Amino acid sequence: MANARELKERMASIQETKKITNAMYLISSSKMKQAKKKLADTEPFFYAMQAEITRILRHVPDMHSHFFDRRERIPAEDRKIGCIVITADKGLAGAYNHNVLKMAEELIRQPGKHKMFVLGEVGRHYFSKREDELDSEFKYTVQDPNLYRARVIAAKMVELFEAGEVDDVYIIYTRMINALQAETQKIKLLPLQRINFASDKMAAMAGVYREAVTLYPSAHKVMDSIVPNYLIGIIYGCLVESYCSEQNSRMQAMQNATDSATDMLNELNITYNRVRQADITQELTEVIGGANAQKRK
Amino acid sequence: MNTFFLKVISSDKVFYEGKCQNLILPIEDGQFSVLAHHENMVVAVENGELHLKTPEGEWITAAVSQGFAEIINNRVSVLVNSAERPEEIDVKRAEEARQRAQERLRHKQSIQEYYLSQASLARAMTRLKTSKDKNWNI
Repeated sequence: MANARELKERMASIQETKKITNAMYLISSSKMKQAKKKLADTEPFFYAMQAEITRILRHVPDMHSHFFDRRERIPAEDRKIGCIVITADKGLAGAYNHNVLKMAEELIRQPGKHKMFVLGEVGRHYFSKREDELDSEFKYTVQDPNLYRARVIAAKMVELFEAGEVDDVYIIYTRMINALQAETQKIKLLPLQRINFASDKMAAMAGVYREAVTLYPSAHKVMDSIVPNYLIGIIYGCLVESYCSEQNSRMQAMQNATDSATDMLNELNITYNRVRQADITQELTEVIGGANAQKRK
Repeated sequence: MNTFFLKVISSDKVFYEGKCQNLILPIEDGQFSVLAHHENMVVAVENGELHLKTPEGEWITAAVSQGFAEIINNRVSVLVNSAERPEEIDVKRAEEARQRAQERLRHKQSIQEYYLSQASLARAMTRLKTSKDKNWNI
Protein backbone atom coordinates (compact mmCIF):
# COMPACT_ATOMS: atom_id res chain seq x y z
CA MET A 1 0.00 0.00 0.00
CA ALA A 2 1.19 3.48 -0.86
CA ASN A 3 2.27 5.59 2.03
CA ALA A 4 0.23 8.42 3.47
CA ARG A 5 2.24 11.23 1.95
CA GLU A 6 1.99 9.88 -1.57
CA LEU A 7 -1.74 9.47 -1.19
CA LYS A 8 -2.07 13.00 0.06
CA GLU A 9 -0.22 14.31 -2.99
CA ARG A 10 -2.36 12.32 -5.36
CA MET A 11 -5.52 13.57 -3.74
CA ALA A 12 -4.32 17.14 -4.04
CA SER A 13 -3.65 16.72 -7.75
CA ILE A 14 -7.06 15.15 -8.35
CA GLN A 15 -8.62 18.01 -6.45
CA GLU A 16 -6.90 20.47 -8.79
CA THR A 17 -8.10 18.65 -11.89
CA LYS A 18 -11.57 18.50 -10.48
CA LYS A 19 -11.54 22.24 -10.02
CA ILE A 20 -10.59 22.69 -13.66
CA THR A 21 -13.21 20.30 -15.01
CA ASN A 22 -15.82 21.89 -12.81
CA ALA A 23 -14.91 25.34 -14.11
CA MET A 24 -15.12 24.07 -17.69
CA TYR A 25 -18.49 22.59 -16.89
CA LEU A 26 -19.71 25.95 -15.68
CA ILE A 27 -18.30 27.77 -18.69
CA SER A 28 -19.88 25.43 -21.19
CA SER A 29 -23.18 25.43 -19.37
CA SER A 30 -23.35 29.20 -19.56
CA LYS A 31 -22.33 29.14 -23.24
CA MET A 32 -24.87 26.42 -23.73
CA LYS A 33 -27.59 28.66 -22.38
CA GLN A 34 -26.76 31.36 -24.91
CA ALA A 35 -26.51 28.83 -27.71
CA LYS A 36 -29.86 27.35 -26.77
CA LYS A 37 -31.46 30.74 -26.93
CA LYS A 38 -29.97 31.32 -30.34
CA LEU A 39 -31.17 27.92 -31.43
CA ALA A 40 -34.69 28.61 -30.22
CA ASP A 41 -34.62 31.94 -32.05
CA THR A 42 -33.47 30.48 -35.31
CA GLU A 43 -35.55 27.32 -35.33
CA PRO A 44 -38.77 28.88 -36.72
CA PHE A 45 -36.81 30.29 -39.63
CA PHE A 46 -34.92 27.06 -40.21
CA TYR A 47 -38.04 24.93 -40.39
CA ALA A 48 -40.18 27.50 -42.18
CA MET A 49 -37.49 27.80 -44.84
CA GLN A 50 -37.54 24.06 -45.50
CA ALA A 51 -41.33 23.96 -45.47
CA GLU A 52 -41.63 26.91 -47.84
CA ILE A 53 -39.13 25.55 -50.30
CA THR A 54 -41.04 22.28 -50.31
CA ARG A 55 -44.22 24.16 -50.94
CA ILE A 56 -42.81 26.26 -53.71
CA LEU A 57 -41.41 23.22 -55.43
CA ARG A 58 -44.75 21.49 -55.12
CA HIS A 59 -46.55 24.38 -56.69
CA VAL A 60 -43.99 24.95 -59.35
CA PRO A 61 -43.25 21.45 -60.57
CA ASP A 62 -41.42 22.13 -63.80
CA MET A 63 -38.61 24.32 -62.84
CA HIS A 64 -35.36 24.39 -64.66
CA SER A 65 -32.80 25.94 -62.47
CA HIS A 66 -29.13 25.16 -62.54
CA PHE A 67 -29.40 24.47 -58.83
CA PHE A 68 -31.32 21.34 -59.71
CA ASP A 69 -28.79 20.19 -62.27
CA ARG A 70 -27.59 16.88 -60.95
CA ARG A 71 -24.87 16.59 -63.60
CA GLU A 72 -25.61 12.96 -64.15
CA ARG A 73 -23.25 12.69 -67.08
CA ILE A 74 -20.28 12.86 -64.76
CA PRO A 75 -19.39 9.33 -63.63
CA ALA A 76 -19.20 8.62 -59.92
CA GLU A 77 -15.38 8.42 -59.85
CA ASP A 78 -14.96 11.86 -61.42
CA ARG A 79 -17.53 13.70 -59.38
CA LYS A 80 -16.09 16.46 -57.30
CA ILE A 81 -17.68 16.25 -53.92
CA GLY A 82 -17.42 19.15 -51.51
CA CYS A 83 -18.27 18.68 -47.91
CA ILE A 84 -18.60 21.20 -45.12
CA VAL A 85 -17.60 19.55 -41.87
CA ILE A 86 -18.44 21.26 -38.62
CA THR A 87 -16.19 20.24 -35.75
CA ALA A 88 -15.27 22.00 -32.53
CA ASP A 89 -12.35 24.35 -31.94
CA LYS A 90 -11.09 22.21 -29.11
CA GLY A 91 -11.47 18.72 -27.77
CA LEU A 92 -12.71 17.58 -24.39
CA ALA A 93 -16.22 17.26 -25.67
CA GLY A 94 -16.79 13.53 -25.42
CA ALA A 95 -17.51 11.81 -28.71
CA TYR A 96 -18.66 14.99 -30.44
CA ASN A 97 -15.65 15.49 -32.72
CA HIS A 98 -15.07 11.81 -33.16
CA ASN A 99 -18.57 11.22 -34.49
CA VAL A 100 -18.32 14.04 -36.98
CA LEU A 101 -14.92 12.93 -38.25
CA LYS A 102 -16.11 9.35 -38.51
CA MET A 103 -18.94 10.41 -40.76
CA ALA A 104 -16.56 12.54 -42.84
CA GLU A 105 -14.28 9.53 -43.25
CA GLU A 106 -17.20 7.43 -44.39
CA LEU A 107 -18.00 10.00 -47.05
CA ILE A 108 -14.39 10.13 -48.22
CA ARG A 109 -14.34 6.39 -48.70
CA GLN A 110 -17.04 6.68 -51.33
CA PRO A 111 -15.94 7.14 -54.95
CA GLY A 112 -15.30 10.63 -56.23
CA LYS A 113 -12.86 13.46 -55.72
CA HIS A 114 -13.40 14.88 -52.29
CA LYS A 115 -12.76 18.32 -51.00
CA MET A 116 -13.27 19.05 -47.34
CA PHE A 117 -14.29 22.44 -46.08
CA VAL A 118 -13.60 22.09 -42.41
CA LEU A 119 -14.81 24.40 -39.71
CA GLY A 120 -13.16 24.16 -36.31
CA GLU A 121 -9.58 23.55 -35.24
CA VAL A 122 -10.00 19.90 -34.34
CA GLY A 123 -11.23 18.92 -37.77
CA ARG A 124 -8.67 21.04 -39.52
CA HIS A 125 -5.90 19.47 -37.50
CA TYR A 126 -7.25 16.02 -38.26
CA PHE A 127 -7.23 16.63 -42.01
CA SER A 128 -4.11 18.79 -42.06
CA LYS A 129 -1.87 15.96 -43.17
CA ARG A 130 -4.02 15.25 -46.20
CA GLU A 131 -3.59 18.42 -48.12
CA ASP A 132 -5.24 17.19 -51.30
CA GLU A 133 -8.51 16.75 -49.46
CA LEU A 134 -8.51 19.80 -47.23
CA ASP A 135 -9.31 23.25 -48.53
CA SER A 136 -6.69 25.15 -46.59
CA GLU A 137 -8.11 28.57 -47.37
CA PHE A 138 -11.38 27.76 -45.72
CA LYS A 139 -10.76 29.12 -42.26
CA TYR A 140 -13.66 29.96 -40.05
CA THR A 141 -14.20 29.50 -36.39
CA VAL A 142 -17.25 27.77 -34.97
CA GLN A 143 -17.47 29.99 -31.92
CA ASP A 144 -20.51 32.24 -31.75
CA PRO A 145 -22.10 31.43 -35.09
CA ASN A 146 -23.41 34.47 -36.90
CA LEU A 147 -25.15 35.22 -40.13
CA TYR A 148 -22.19 36.92 -41.68
CA ARG A 149 -20.14 33.74 -41.54
CA ALA A 150 -23.01 31.70 -42.94
CA ARG A 151 -23.34 34.21 -45.74
CA VAL A 152 -19.68 33.99 -46.68
CA ILE A 153 -19.72 30.20 -46.60
CA ALA A 154 -22.90 29.98 -48.66
CA ALA A 155 -21.54 32.45 -51.21
CA LYS A 156 -18.40 30.38 -51.56
CA MET A 157 -20.33 27.16 -52.02
CA VAL A 158 -22.63 28.66 -54.63
CA GLU A 159 -19.68 30.10 -56.48
CA LEU A 160 -17.82 26.78 -56.50
CA PHE A 161 -20.94 24.96 -57.59
CA GLU A 162 -21.67 27.37 -60.41
CA ALA A 163 -18.08 27.27 -61.59
CA GLY A 164 -18.19 23.47 -61.70
CA GLU A 165 -15.49 23.16 -59.07
CA VAL A 166 -17.80 20.92 -57.10
CA ASP A 167 -20.69 18.81 -58.30
CA ASP A 168 -22.21 17.91 -54.96
CA VAL A 169 -22.13 19.82 -51.72
CA TYR A 170 -22.80 18.13 -48.40
CA ILE A 171 -22.76 19.41 -44.89
CA ILE A 172 -21.98 17.29 -41.85
CA TYR A 173 -23.20 18.73 -38.59
CA THR A 174 -24.53 17.61 -35.24
CA ARG A 175 -28.18 17.98 -34.54
CA MET A 176 -29.42 18.30 -31.04
CA ILE A 177 -32.34 15.97 -30.44
CA ASN A 178 -32.77 16.85 -26.80
CA ALA A 179 -30.58 17.84 -23.89
CA LEU A 180 -29.13 14.36 -23.66
CA GLN A 181 -28.95 13.26 -27.23
CA ALA A 182 -27.16 14.63 -30.23
CA GLU A 183 -26.92 13.04 -33.62
CA THR A 184 -24.42 13.58 -36.39
CA GLN A 185 -26.16 14.21 -39.67
CA LYS A 186 -25.31 14.67 -43.28
CA ILE A 187 -27.42 16.88 -45.53
CA LYS A 188 -27.01 17.38 -49.24
CA LEU A 189 -27.02 21.10 -49.94
CA LEU A 190 -26.48 21.21 -53.67
CA PRO A 191 -27.81 20.31 -56.17
CA LEU A 192 -31.23 20.63 -54.65
CA GLN A 193 -33.06 17.37 -54.56
CA ARG A 194 -36.72 17.34 -55.11
CA ILE A 195 -37.11 14.12 -53.11
CA ASN A 196 -35.35 15.81 -50.28
CA PHE A 197 -38.05 18.40 -49.97
CA ALA A 198 -41.01 16.26 -50.84
CA SER A 199 -41.69 14.24 -47.75
CA ASP A 200 -43.98 11.19 -47.58
CA LYS A 201 -46.95 13.41 -46.94
CA MET A 202 -46.40 15.11 -50.24
CA ALA A 203 -46.51 11.87 -52.19
CA ALA A 204 -50.02 11.18 -50.92
CA MET A 205 -51.10 14.56 -52.15
CA ALA A 206 -49.93 13.91 -55.67
CA GLY A 207 -53.49 13.71 -56.96
CA VAL A 208 -54.59 16.89 -55.24
CA TYR A 209 -55.23 19.89 -57.39
CA ARG A 210 -52.27 22.18 -57.43
CA GLU A 211 -52.80 25.85 -57.69
CA ALA A 212 -50.60 27.72 -60.03
CA VAL A 213 -48.15 30.12 -58.50
CA THR A 214 -46.72 33.05 -60.33
CA LEU A 215 -43.08 33.73 -59.80
CA TYR A 216 -42.14 37.36 -59.85
CA PRO A 217 -40.11 38.89 -61.56
CA SER A 218 -39.23 35.53 -63.18
CA ALA A 219 -38.80 31.92 -62.13
CA HIS A 220 -35.07 32.20 -62.55
CA LYS A 221 -34.83 35.39 -60.63
CA VAL A 222 -36.83 33.95 -57.77
CA MET A 223 -34.83 30.74 -57.67
CA ASP A 224 -31.57 32.68 -57.84
CA SER A 225 -32.69 34.68 -54.88
CA ILE A 226 -34.26 31.87 -52.89
CA VAL A 227 -31.59 29.21 -53.24
CA PRO A 228 -28.60 31.17 -51.90
CA ASN A 229 -30.81 32.45 -49.13
CA TYR A 230 -31.98 28.96 -48.39
CA LEU A 231 -28.36 27.88 -48.21
CA ILE A 232 -27.48 30.75 -45.89
CA GLY A 233 -30.39 29.80 -43.68
CA ILE A 234 -29.50 26.12 -43.63
CA ILE A 235 -25.80 26.73 -43.01
CA TYR A 236 -26.57 29.17 -40.23
CA GLY A 237 -28.98 26.70 -38.71
CA CYS A 238 -26.36 23.94 -38.90
CA LEU A 239 -23.73 26.17 -37.31
CA VAL A 240 -26.03 27.01 -34.44
CA GLU A 241 -27.15 23.41 -33.95
CA SER A 242 -23.56 22.20 -33.95
CA TYR A 243 -22.42 24.89 -31.56
CA CYS A 244 -25.21 24.00 -29.22
CA SER A 245 -24.44 20.27 -29.41
CA GLU A 246 -20.76 20.96 -28.87
CA GLN A 247 -21.40 22.89 -25.68
CA ASN A 248 -23.84 20.26 -24.58
CA SER A 249 -21.48 17.37 -25.05
CA ARG A 250 -18.64 19.29 -23.44
CA MET A 251 -20.88 19.99 -20.52
CA GLN A 252 -21.70 16.32 -20.21
CA ALA A 253 -18.08 15.24 -20.60
CA MET A 254 -16.98 17.69 -17.94
CA GLN A 255 -19.73 16.63 -15.61
CA ASN A 256 -18.66 13.00 -16.02
CA ALA A 257 -15.05 13.99 -15.37
CA THR A 258 -16.04 15.88 -12.23
CA ASP A 259 -18.14 12.97 -11.05
CA SER A 260 -15.39 10.42 -11.51
CA ALA A 261 -12.93 12.76 -9.82
CA THR A 262 -15.26 12.85 -6.83
CA ASP A 263 -15.47 9.04 -6.84
CA MET A 264 -11.70 8.73 -7.01
CA LEU A 265 -11.29 11.19 -4.18
CA ASN A 266 -13.71 9.23 -2.02
CA GLU A 267 -11.88 6.00 -2.65
CA LEU A 268 -8.51 7.57 -2.03
CA ASN A 269 -9.78 9.16 1.12
CA ILE A 270 -10.83 5.78 2.49
CA THR A 271 -7.47 4.29 1.56
CA TYR A 272 -5.70 7.23 3.12
CA ASN A 273 -7.62 6.85 6.36
CA ARG A 274 -6.80 3.16 6.45
CA VAL A 275 -3.14 3.86 5.91
CA ARG A 276 -3.18 6.51 8.58
CA GLN A 277 -4.90 4.17 10.99
CA ALA A 278 -2.43 1.42 10.24
CA ASP A 279 0.41 3.85 10.89
CA ILE A 280 -1.07 4.92 14.22
CA THR A 281 -1.72 1.35 15.28
CA GLN A 282 1.82 0.44 14.39
CA GLU A 283 3.21 3.35 16.34
CA LEU A 284 1.04 2.50 19.32
CA THR A 285 2.17 -1.11 19.32
CA GLU A 286 5.74 0.10 19.13
CA VAL A 287 5.24 2.44 22.08
CA ILE A 288 3.47 -0.20 24.13
CA GLY A 289 6.06 -2.77 23.18
CA GLY A 290 8.79 -0.33 24.22
CA ALA A 291 7.06 0.43 27.54
CA ASN A 292 6.63 -3.27 28.30
CA ALA A 293 10.25 -3.93 27.59
CA GLN A 294 11.23 -1.12 29.98
CA LYS A 295 8.93 -2.55 32.69
CA ARG A 296 10.43 -5.99 32.51
CA LYS A 297 13.88 -4.68 33.37
CA MET B 1 -60.94 46.59 -44.68
CA ASN B 2 -59.99 43.10 -45.73
CA THR B 3 -57.06 41.54 -44.05
CA PHE B 4 -54.80 38.59 -44.68
CA PHE B 5 -52.57 36.51 -42.46
CA LEU B 6 -48.96 37.56 -42.45
CA LYS B 7 -45.86 36.00 -40.98
CA VAL B 8 -42.51 37.73 -41.25
CA ILE B 9 -39.72 35.45 -40.11
CA SER B 10 -36.09 36.46 -39.94
CA SER B 11 -33.24 34.12 -39.13
CA ASP B 12 -33.12 35.17 -35.49
CA LYS B 13 -36.75 35.82 -34.63
CA VAL B 14 -40.34 35.85 -35.74
CA PHE B 15 -40.68 39.51 -36.61
CA TYR B 16 -44.43 39.70 -37.14
CA GLU B 17 -47.23 37.21 -36.95
CA GLY B 18 -50.83 38.16 -37.35
CA LYS B 19 -53.37 39.92 -39.50
CA CYS B 20 -52.33 42.62 -41.90
CA GLN B 21 -54.11 45.02 -44.24
CA ASN B 22 -51.37 46.00 -46.57
CA LEU B 23 -47.83 44.79 -47.04
CA ILE B 24 -45.19 46.59 -49.06
CA LEU B 25 -42.08 44.67 -50.01
CA PRO B 26 -38.86 45.93 -51.54
CA ILE B 27 -38.11 44.05 -54.76
CA GLU B 28 -35.64 44.35 -57.56
CA ASP B 29 -37.52 46.95 -59.62
CA GLY B 30 -39.18 48.96 -56.89
CA GLN B 31 -41.82 48.15 -54.37
CA PHE B 32 -44.44 45.46 -54.34
CA SER B 33 -47.68 45.84 -52.47
CA VAL B 34 -49.82 42.97 -51.27
CA LEU B 35 -53.45 43.40 -50.32
CA ALA B 36 -55.93 40.79 -49.18
CA HIS B 37 -56.80 38.03 -51.66
CA HIS B 38 -53.74 38.58 -53.74
CA GLU B 39 -52.87 36.21 -56.56
CA ASN B 40 -50.75 33.23 -55.49
CA MET B 41 -47.21 34.27 -55.97
CA VAL B 42 -43.63 33.85 -54.92
CA VAL B 43 -41.63 37.04 -54.92
CA ALA B 44 -37.93 37.58 -54.50
CA VAL B 45 -37.35 40.22 -51.83
CA GLU B 46 -34.35 42.52 -52.02
CA ASN B 47 -32.54 44.56 -49.39
CA GLY B 48 -34.76 47.45 -48.45
CA GLU B 49 -37.62 48.69 -46.38
CA LEU B 50 -40.65 46.60 -45.63
CA HIS B 51 -43.86 48.29 -44.54
CA LEU B 52 -46.93 46.63 -43.16
CA LYS B 53 -50.24 48.00 -42.03
CA THR B 54 -51.77 46.33 -39.03
CA PRO B 55 -55.58 45.83 -38.78
CA GLU B 56 -55.61 48.85 -36.47
CA GLY B 57 -54.24 50.94 -39.29
CA GLU B 58 -50.81 51.39 -37.82
CA TRP B 59 -47.78 51.18 -40.07
CA ILE B 60 -44.78 49.12 -39.07
CA THR B 61 -41.50 49.62 -40.87
CA ALA B 62 -38.56 47.25 -40.99
CA ALA B 63 -35.21 47.10 -42.69
CA VAL B 64 -35.02 43.69 -44.33
CA SER B 65 -32.29 41.87 -46.18
CA GLN B 66 -32.67 39.46 -49.06
CA GLY B 67 -35.19 36.70 -48.97
CA PHE B 68 -38.51 35.81 -50.46
CA ALA B 69 -42.20 36.17 -49.88
CA GLU B 70 -44.77 33.56 -50.61
CA ILE B 71 -48.42 34.39 -51.13
CA ILE B 72 -50.70 31.37 -51.10
CA ASN B 73 -54.39 31.26 -50.24
CA ASN B 74 -54.47 34.68 -48.66
CA ARG B 75 -51.61 33.74 -46.38
CA VAL B 76 -48.31 35.49 -46.77
CA SER B 77 -44.98 34.27 -45.42
CA VAL B 78 -41.99 36.52 -45.71
CA LEU B 79 -38.68 34.81 -45.04
CA VAL B 80 -35.73 37.14 -44.85
CA ASN B 81 -32.29 36.84 -43.35
CA SER B 82 -32.79 39.83 -41.12
CA ALA B 83 -35.61 42.18 -40.19
CA GLU B 84 -35.14 45.12 -37.86
CA ARG B 85 -37.36 47.88 -36.55
CA PRO B 86 -35.98 51.39 -37.10
CA GLU B 87 -35.47 51.83 -33.36
CA GLU B 88 -33.52 48.59 -33.17
CA ILE B 89 -30.98 49.68 -35.72
CA ASP B 90 -27.59 50.57 -34.40
CA VAL B 91 -26.84 53.64 -36.49
CA LYS B 92 -23.21 53.73 -35.50
CA ARG B 93 -22.68 50.12 -36.47
CA ALA B 94 -24.50 50.57 -39.77
CA GLU B 95 -22.40 53.65 -40.50
CA GLU B 96 -19.23 51.73 -39.76
CA ALA B 97 -20.39 48.87 -41.95
CA ARG B 98 -21.08 51.30 -44.77
CA GLN B 99 -17.63 52.82 -44.50
CA ARG B 100 -16.01 49.41 -44.32
CA ALA B 101 -17.89 48.23 -47.38
CA GLN B 102 -17.04 51.35 -49.34
CA GLU B 103 -13.42 51.00 -48.43
CA ARG B 104 -13.40 47.40 -49.52
CA LEU B 105 -15.03 48.31 -52.80
CA ARG B 106 -12.09 50.60 -53.55
CA HIS B 107 -9.63 47.75 -53.34
CA LYS B 108 -9.03 45.36 -56.13
CA GLN B 109 -10.82 42.16 -55.31
CA SER B 110 -12.31 39.06 -56.82
CA ILE B 111 -15.78 39.16 -58.29
CA GLN B 112 -17.14 37.18 -55.37
CA GLU B 113 -15.62 39.56 -52.85
CA TYR B 114 -16.93 42.47 -54.86
CA TYR B 115 -20.47 41.14 -54.70
CA LEU B 116 -20.19 40.47 -51.00
CA SER B 117 -18.96 44.00 -50.32
CA GLN B 118 -21.64 45.42 -52.54
CA ALA B 119 -24.31 43.44 -50.73
CA SER B 120 -23.07 44.54 -47.33
CA LEU B 121 -23.01 48.13 -48.57
CA ALA B 122 -26.62 47.77 -49.66
CA ARG B 123 -27.58 46.35 -46.28
CA ALA B 124 -25.85 49.16 -44.43
CA MET B 125 -27.47 51.81 -46.63
CA THR B 126 -30.91 50.30 -46.07
CA ARG B 127 -30.39 50.28 -42.32
CA LEU B 128 -29.29 53.89 -42.32
CA LYS B 129 -32.18 54.95 -44.49
CA THR B 130 -34.75 53.08 -42.40
CA SER B 131 -33.38 54.46 -39.17
CA LYS B 132 -33.67 58.02 -40.49
CA ASP B 133 -37.29 58.20 -41.57
CA LYS B 134 -38.93 56.69 -38.56
CA ASN B 135 -42.36 58.12 -39.23
CA TRP B 136 -43.07 56.49 -42.50
CA ASN B 137 -46.62 56.89 -43.70
CA ILE B 138 -48.61 56.96 -46.86
